[in-house]
Amino acid sequence: MTEKILFIVFAALAVAGGIGTITRKNVVHALLVLVFVFLNVAAIFFLTQAYFLAVVQILVYAGAIMVLFVFVIMLLNLRTFEQEEQTHRRQRWIALALSILVLAEFVIVLAGITFTSARGGFTPEVISAAGDGTKVFGDAFFNNMLLPFEVASVVLLVAMVGAIILVKREKTAGATTRVWEPGERPTPEALEEEV
Amino acid sequence: MGGTPADMAIPVDWYLYLSAALFIVGAAGMLIRRNLFIVLFSLELMLNAVNINLVGFSRFHENLAGQNFVLFVMAIAAAEAAVGLAIATALFRNRQTLMVDLFDRMKG
Repeated sequence: MTEKILFIVFAALAVAGGIGTITRKNVVHALLVLVFVFLNVAAIFFLTQAYFLAVVQILVYAGAIMVLFVFVIMLLNLRTFEQEEQTHRRQRWIALALSILVLAEFVIVLAGITFTSARGGFTPEVISAAGDGTKVFGDAFFNNMLLPFEVASVVLLVAMVGAIILVKREKTAGATTRVWEPGERPTPEALEEEV
Repeated sequence: MGGTPADMAIPVDWYLYLSAALFIVGAAGMLIRRNLFIVLFSLELMLNAVNINLVGFSRFHENLAGQNFVLFVMAIAAAEAAVGLAIATALFRNRQTLMVDLFDRMKG
């Protein structure tokens, strides 16, 4: 019973935070609300006894990925966009109506389904008897999904290299590096250009 | 809920409803907002909705494959965030804007 109440609370907070994320004008505010959503999702993972994933959710999502976003937002000057129109003029109402329609569809379909558990045998009792949850998780992960794990590492490597290539400033063929005469002071604009 | 294991405190449909709600919020944000960053945030919301689904079903079916899969979704989310932010930086450098409907140079 306690779990149910907690689930409802965290779920309501997560959805409210999601709506908050997509309605904020300020990108940094949206990002902070998104971190709040991720923390609530982590709490739901805790309630499901997926402890390792809950911690990974907080560390990787709320920690690493969001910090990456914060860095890029601080890098670009986004404050100027707050005065601009924030939504697509033509498609916003259509999109909103379609979203509500699809949500209604989801609810109608889900209400009509009764699921049957496959009884895979990894109940919390079994898991706690076999050691801690992380150990069982790791056993299952590296026994069944070793190849996908290696592929995922290659995907991450490709993403890393791709991100560096994309951000790197290209040296155009005609451009020569400027050499400052001794005693000459570069103007701030020129310095800005140089960096 | 005939199929829910007796020791499962939360019915599996609750996860599905929550996941559907979060996913739709993300999809709506992606379709409605113009700011590229908010679009990327919406993408993260949708990926998280999928994760909730996977974890809920993993508990329901008493099988750890769903939980293992969440790690892959997180890895892909990290890769997508890195590449997406790199593209955002490059776009901002070239066009001085981040409103997605203004990037229409390839339109025929």
